Amino acid sequence: MLALLRARCASNFHTLLQPWKLGFSSLSTTINIDGGVSKCVLDLQEIEKVLTDVKADDVKVIPVPEHCDWADYMVLATGRSTWHVKNIAQALIYKAKQKQKGVERMMLPSVEGSEGGKWIVIDSGKVIVHALDEKARAYYNLENLWTHGSIQHESTEDLQKVLVKVRRKNNSKKPAQKNA
Amino acid sequence: MIQPQTYLNVADNSGARELMCIRIIGASNRRYAYIGDIIVAVIKKAVPNTPFERSEVIRAVIVRTCKELKRSNGIIIKYDDNAAVVIDKEGNPKGTRIFCAIARELRQLNFTKIVSLAPEVL
Repeated sequence: MLALLRARCASNFHTLLQPWKLGFSSLSTTINIDGGVSKCVLDLQEIEKVLTDVKADDVKVIPVPEHCDWADYMVLATGRSTWHVKNIAQALIYKAKQKQKGVERMMLPSVEGSEGGKWIVIDSGKVIVHALDEKARAYYNLENLWTHGSIQHESTEDLQKVLVKVRRKNNSKKPAQKNA
Repeated sequence: MIQPQTYLNVADNSGARELMCIRIIGASNRRYAYIGDIIVAVIKKAVPNTPFERSEVIRAVIVRTCKELKRSNGIIIKYDDNAAVVIDKEGNPKGTRIFCAIARELRQLNFTKIVSLAPEVL
């Protein structure tokens, strides 16, 4: 309960950015809100159009693997500089505002990392846009993470290696027959 | 319930191994930190040949706690250990991969980057 309260306080804090998160406290309400989100927050086609308009390089749309149920699509875009990355984020928010002109309660996507400009995440419910610097994109290598999704397989392989019993090497210089 | 002097594991590949909390960021006189809180920590152990060294002061987000996290629908999440992810001042994670299942409360607390790096979301 405490965590939830704090979550609410935090979202109150950023009310300007993400008012739609206010009622996000439990799973039962998420379902209702998701129904509302699909109407108001950006679609995939719109996002792609905005990204081509602001000339974001190397746009990639990745459907999220099945085990992640918290989003449907990840969109990756590269900006040439920190200003360009910030502009990508601003263009998306502007588009969301334009789309909901005249609505009583506007729902805006939440933005994370907008002061740095190296990696900005625009979280519009089911579609999540990552605008990255060239360096940051190479560093985090997000495509690899989501396209293969091989982290879990790797870890199980490692586990199997660890669990296999290995006979100790016989380093003694005595002839082997004595041991046997 | 993380308080100053608590030792935490590191849940990413940044190169730190073990942290000690020295301060909780938020209110001036806060006693405990829970999942999704930012702490100031000292590196107590580090992997050799990585950017981090022992006794370096960094910021970290708590991702696993032994103290249970309750949701309003009755689900309780608790882990066997306390762990954190190293971040910089802008909130970007220092490591590139995260190795544990992460609670979805982190997304509501604006740590979408950490959630998107995680292999699984609870």
